[in-house]
Amino acid sequence: MYADYAYLIVALPVLAFLLCLFVGWHLPRGGGFLTVLATFAGLILSLGIFSEIYPDKIIHQSMPWFANFNVGILIDPLALVMLLMVTFVVTLIHIYANGYMNGDPGAARYFAEAALFTASMLGLIFADNLLQLFIFWELVGLCSYLLIGFWYRKPSAAAAAKKAFLTTRVGDVLFLAGIILLYNNLANLNLALKPGEYLLQFPVIYANLAQIAPDQLTLIALGLLGGAVGKSGQFPLHVWLPDAMEGPTTVSAMIHAATMVTAGVYLVARMFPLFYAAPHGLTAVAAVGAFTALFAATMGLTSFDIKRVLAFSTVSQLGFMMAGLGVGAAVGTFAVGVSIFHLIGHSFFKALLFLCAGSVIHAVNTNDMREMGGVGKYMKWTMYTMLIGSLSLAGFPLFTGFFSKDEIIVIAYEYGTLINFLPYIFLVLAAVLTAIYTFRMWFSVFTGKERSDYGKHESPWVMLGPLVILAVFALGFGYVAQEDFYSYLDSNFKHYDLDFVELGVIGGHALEEHVAPAAEGEPVAAKGEHEAAAGEGEAGGEEGPGEPWYIQILPIIVAIGGILTAMLFYWDKVKKFDPSQVTGDKDPIRKLLLKGYYQHEIMTGWFAETVVYGTALICNTIDIKLVDGWLNWLSALVLGFAQHVRKVQTGIVQNYVTALVLGVVVLVVVITLAKEVGLV
Amino acid sequence: MIPLELYILLASTMFTIGLYGLFTQKNGVKLMMCIELLLNSANINLVAFSAYQPNVNGQVFALFSIALAAAEAGVGFAILIALYRLYGTIDLDNINAMRW
Repeated sequence: MYADYAYLIVALPVLAFLLCLFVGWHLPRGGGFLTVLATFAGLILSLGIFSEIYPDKIIHQSMPWFANFNVGILIDPLALVMLLMVTFVVTLIHIYANGYMNGDPGAARYFAEAALFTASMLGLIFADNLLQLFIFWELVGLCSYLLIGFWYRKPSAAAAAKKAFLTTRVGDVLFLAGIILLYNNLANLNLALKPGEYLLQFPVIYANLAQIAPDQLTLIALGLLGGAVGKSGQFPLHVWLPDAMEGPTTVSAMIHAATMVTAGVYLVARMFPLFYAAPHGLTAVAAVGAFTALFAATMGLTSFDIKRVLAFSTVSQLGFMMAGLGVGAAVGTFAVGVSIFHLIGHSFFKALLFLCAGSVIHAVNTNDMREMGGVGKYMKWTMYTMLIGSLSLAGFPLFTGFFSKDEIIVIAYEYGTLINFLPYIFLVLAAVLTAIYTFRMWFSVFTGKERSDYGKHESPWVMLGPLVILAVFALGFGYVAQEDFYSYLDSNFKHYDLDFVELGVIGGHALEEHVAPAAEGEPVAAKGEHEAAAGEGEAGGEEGPGEPWYIQILPIIVAIGGILTAMLFYWDKVKKFDPSQVTGDKDPIRKLLLKGYYQHEIMTGWFAETVVYGTALICNTIDIKLVDGWLNWLSALVLGFAQHVRKVQTGIVQNYVTALVLGVVVLVVVITLAKEVGLV
Repeated sequence: MIPLELYILLASTMFTIGLYGLFTQKNGVKLMMCIELLLNSANINLVAFSAYQPNVNGQVFALFSIALAAAEAGVGFAILIALYRLYGTIDLDNINAMRW
């Protein structure tokens, strides 16, 4: 029953968008309640659909669009958990935004754009074909641009919006190239499609992957990965994400932490069979993810802007998710469950952290942690909810982040034993740094002495309510949901006509390696379909019995060690070291990190201003001299000729009369002569 | 009956006078009068030929021509009055604002 109304999940936010856009000015608080209601209705519908199809059904609706394309809704386990997460988190953020944006003259515009964003993100999630996904993907990018530049009168916000738009565009071009390549390859197979089947539909793609040439698969996978790298802020296209913090904090929470940036991870998860089949496809994913995880974590360590710390942490955690998918080369579809679990958990605690940061900024009126300190005395609720978020992010045992992130590290170890240990090492180091920078932030904001004169008041309940709800999820979600989640997500690709063993052979994942960790409940297809999804997933949930005990303990040690380190440096009660003694201003490493590896200097200073500007200059010259040049020359020629001919128009009537009479005479003479000769 | 040649002679004389006026005069009203001469010389021809070749077509055509001439004179003088208000003269040599 609910499934018939699935389209409303997208349609209602679109309606809210239109209402807010056109009549929002006349409504209280810019019509924010419309956006909340529309998203909340989406949440109710998603829950209804969940109750209908859990645990072993999927919904697939589709109708023709044009030529070889269709529009459709595909809700399988992967899409369903994403739907639930997005509607849930975004509803809470919209509620919070009603408090946060109160009094902003652009509130109606904010809620209109936020509603459009919600609609496009949800449309992206349950698209049943790549083209539709791409369209919503671009819409999401547009909303991101609009919302980052929400305070467009501020030059830095406008610049950040432009940067985000252009940087993600690089990825999107690659993504589109990947789609076109995939379409061509599928079209060349001359498949006999049944009615209602279209080339770019995911089930059709899955079913025919094995027939595409492996080198083409790798190219397609790299193209799609390019899109994911752009959208999910992975190295080297991560530069826009920290700058995107120029938008309102709710935007940062909604778009740049919880939902939009996860679209890239979702894309890789959605196309996991393709990445699995493509030789080196998953290796590239793992490499990008692991490197980004560590790279961004080091930068988070030195930033003074509370939102930038969180932004770097987002980049880093997205790296974890990518790496989690990438190591699927060793553990198969189980990796999708682990990675998406981290995605969901991360969206809870990162949204929580951002909203807490927003609450602090709302009261203190600055982003700079050096001007905060001791805020905890005045904002008890914010302090404790943020503590929960921080513990979760740091991976403290029994918090959500512990279950999700540490599972990624464990499967990365498995990947290490089979293929390469580098991702594992990178991820462990990144986990240490995560714990350190998270608690550096928490301690320097909430403890110690007040370092400047700021507003000392707690935020209103419309803002604190969502914090508390998110804190509950950041605390308990991992513990409660982990096992069912893995098994449910693991069953995702069983709904399709897929043989992971065959794909693994194409992808060069040797068969013995592939079967070896079967105890973890991974090679679904290899075992045949008689095995119950739940049984396998539970086996997978047991923290990989194949690993030695120290590997399973290590993430806990890493998390607690990181927190203790941060404590010794930044908590005034137990402070043992002064950060400035360890690294002075002259320290090259500190300078390097503070400058963000000179990315700004390289990307903007060198790349943008020298290479791009130089190229632009050359193009401009060619455009003016060559393209415009010959056209201008042509028009100058005509004008110059006309300059002489126009002199005929003397303005003296007699001249005209003379011409008239002469003309008649000449005509008469010519016609008479012609008659004489016999021409007429 | 007056021979046809005389009519044709009269018409050609009028036409030549009109053409001469057009070539030499600069006053707008005089030019209008010259144009009337040209038109009416043509009318004389039409009527004369019509009378000598029993057929009323030419006379009907002359009536059209007269009506046309009246309309043309009305528009022409209106323009001349407007020009006079604007420039204070109807000497066409002075009216050349639209020239290159």
